[in-house]
Amino acid sequence: MPAKTPKARRILARTAPELFVGRGEISRELAALASPKTGQQSVVLLAAPQAGLSELLRQNFDELFRQRGGATPIYFAFTRSDHATTAAARRFLQGFLTQLVAHRREDATLVAASPTLRALLDLVAPSDYEWVERLIQTFERAVGEGDERAIVRICFGAPQQAAARGVRTLVMLDDVHLVERLRGEVELGPEVAHAAVQSGTPFVLAGLRRRMLDILNGTASLVGLDSLRKIHLDKLKDADARALVEDLAQRHGVAVNDETRDLVVQQLESSPYLITALVEAAKTNNVELKSFRDFQSLYVDELMGGRVHRRFGSVLEEIAPSVTNRRSLLRVLHESASNVGGKSPVEVWMKRLGIDAVEFERVMRLLHMHELASFHATFVETTPGHVWRDFLRISYRLQVAAEPRALVVADTLVETLKRAPRTMARHYRREAALNLGDLMQRFDFDRVPASLLRYDRFARVYRGVARDEVLAGLETETDLIRLPQIVHAASCASFHPPMSQFCDEERCAVAHGFDTTSYADANEVVWIAAEVESKLEAGRALTELWLDRLEQVAHGCGFERARFWLVSREGFSADAAELLNEREAFGSCLEQLELLSARLAREEGEGARIAPADEFAIELPMGEDTELIAAHTVEQIARRMEFQPEAINQIKTALVEACINAAEHSLSTERKIYNRFRVEGDKLVITVSSRGLSVPMTVYENGAASTDRNGRDAGEGAKGRRGWGLKLIRTLMDVVEFDRVDDGTRLRMTKYLHR
Amino acid sequence: MSEQLSGPTLAGVPCDGEIAVVRAGDYVNKLSGQRIERECLLRMEGGCRALVIDFKGTELVNSIGVSILLGVIDMAEQVGARLVFSNVSRHTVKLFELLGLTRLVALAESEEAALATLKEFSPTPSGH
Repeated sequence: MPAKTPKARRILARTAPELFVGRGEISRELAALASPKTGQQSVVLLAAPQAGLSELLRQNFDELFRQRGGATPIYFAFTRSDHATTAAARRFLQGFLTQLVAHRREDATLVAASPTLRALLDLVAPSDYEWVERLIQTFERAVGEGDERAIVRICFGAPQQAAARGVRTLVMLDDVHLVERLRGEVELGPEVAHAAVQSGTPFVLAGLRRRMLDILNGTASLVGLDSLRKIHLDKLKDADARALVEDLAQRHGVAVNDETRDLVVQQLESSPYLITALVEAAKTNNVELKSFRDFQSLYVDELMGGRVHRRFGSVLEEIAPSVTNRRSLLRVLHESASNVGGKSPVEVWMKRLGIDAVEFERVMRLLHMHELASFHATFVETTPGHVWRDFLRISYRLQVAAEPRALVVADTLVETLKRAPRTMARHYRREAALNLGDLMQRFDFDRVPASLLRYDRFARVYRGVARDEVLAGLETETDLIRLPQIVHAASCASFHPPMSQFCDEERCAVAHGFDTTSYADANEVVWIAAEVESKLEAGRALTELWLDRLEQVAHGCGFERARFWLVSREGFSADAAELLNEREAFGSCLEQLELLSARLAREEGEGARIAPADEFAIELPMGEDTELIAAHTVEQIARRMEFQPEAINQIKTALVEACINAAEHSLSTERKIYNRFRVEGDKLVITVSSRGLSVPMTVYENGAASTDRNGRDAGEGAKGRRGWGLKLIRTLMDVVEFDRVDDGTRLRMTKYLHR
Repeated sequence: MSEQLSGPTLAGVPCDGEIAVVRAGDYVNKLSGQRIERECLLRMEGGCRALVIDFKGTELVNSIGVSILLGVIDMAEQVGARLVFSNVSRHTVKLFELLGLTRLVALAESEEAALATLKEFSPTPSGH
């Protein structure tokens, strides 16, 4: 019988460690901060609401506390009940010393105790007694003098004092966003940030993502804060959320089936807090989660008066403490959420709330922080998730419209049950979406066979052909399309909200980029791609409808140069493909998309390779005919590849020209040319790069010699005869292209062995 | 007789005081191109009205070298001097074709053939 592993005892965590899922990577990053090897590396942890931030920190505290030999973990959460900065600071000092003593004595029970500062002196290790006593005396003196700033600095400077005596701590400050509501002369956010930056000991500053950085910066930007690493904590991934539901249900003896588990995850938006609350409520109420009805009944109960109700209610109370204001807020939130796009003019909000400008600003700030609304220049956009919307609707009907409770419960239950299949359908559609935005985000001036973007061509050549043969055929294609470099991609609806009426957000994307390597106005291009739903080949009418829609988007958004790309899983009918060509739009089927994605992945992989065995690199100083050294090097490589002598001469000449261009045009201060020679099957790829001025390709092109009627150079003297370099290179090599680099120029030239 | 020029990359052999042979080095770039240009200019200023630029042993010519050779062709035309390129490798011929030089200058397979061409078409000396 295998030995049982003893379960780790919880100290601050509320969930058993084995039930804490989906946060392995962040937990490891936080735990690493405690290692002496890490040095002082504070981090800012920016969390989405209900992402389980506090539990993450508490789990890490427990884990570090149990490990001996590392830094002492310190967990401190700011609360609304602190009221004043000095109270929060004092509580921190007390918590810091208590947890320090507990860790030093290996006594976890002390963590939950609240000994006075003087009582702590009796518990402190002899080696710490002196500095702890001095720290407490200094603190008491500052309290006696009423010096608020000194109190704050002494308390939050305690980790630094400890570090100076060789006691290393990892301080995790939770709910830092709450410090802005504390009364006092001192801005606590910047003080805390100052401690994290200056103390010489690692801090984790954690709180709601939308306010954290503003609060830590305060009224003046703190030097060093920007250098702190930012870690983002979002909701769980679906798979992790499903595992959480299963583990919790098993631990609490709550029966759950797969269908209901998936609905729990989708409806609760993968929030670990909400999932835990619901499954624990199921346990408390002794209900199963084996049907949608089971779950929705429990859900409505939770919204009406359970833990979720209390949590959301406390947020509303924080935003609008008075009952009257809260009702007004509920009304306006409910009304705005009912509008298309959730938008309402600011004037309407101000009028409905009936509060002065200062209070209005405070309310908007808190709504923003809790991600319930966003304040724009002229309008307010409500952005709550489904659970919040349900809560607001219920609260509005009960507290503002004064509807009978039974009616609200019944309606909500019926509505949530009706909505459940839609929620799941939405999930399935999202999972099945081709995510064109993500794909376009990977475009980086790659050259891809044209048949990957032109369905008619693909269908003609490759339909019904085995995948291996398709791949081989694509490799030999010479008609290539150069993709742009995409710098930003987002859903179409985020640019043009009316599009959300026609398709799911992830099925239509807008991607901004450049179609040549020079970041110039003329090269800006916007690709708009949409996934057309059609079980068969998309017909002409449907294709036309979508092209019109995409054109409307381009027009509505003022995109001057736009390329349209439609993707239909089964491709396009012949007349639809004809229409795509007429309107100079691209069209792909699912197979083309998969091939394109694989090709991009391959090129990304190639880009990431580090000095493979078939790659040679040399670095040349500019001048002194060093291009000859490059030419002789490439000659040796080309000979090994068995290029014909004529081709070798062409390669050498092209390389010499490329080196000359780099030396002449770059104005490089380091005066170096970097050459790479890569053997790729039947081709030799040569890259010549230099730092310095990025000489636009057009300069080379325009510099190409023009000739007079006698066939002579029309320029003046030798100067007018220059600028042949790129022309020569293009003639001598098979493929010539400029790669985008931030500084300087990189020219890539390819010569095929058999062409 | 042709006039040869001395120098690390160029050499000339006197030939009747009118034909000069200028040897290009193994790499015709800006520097060696300018040397060729200078030597040709000197010879033309010295009365030479026929020039051979010999590319025997020339491995590479770059575009700057080509532009300078074009300048030499211009100069020769302006002073009424005849110019022949000899021993140009097949690859370099293609390069010259590409950049339009072969329409402006005669090519000869060897230095001897170049000299023969120039002598054949040389104007009869006006009596002394």
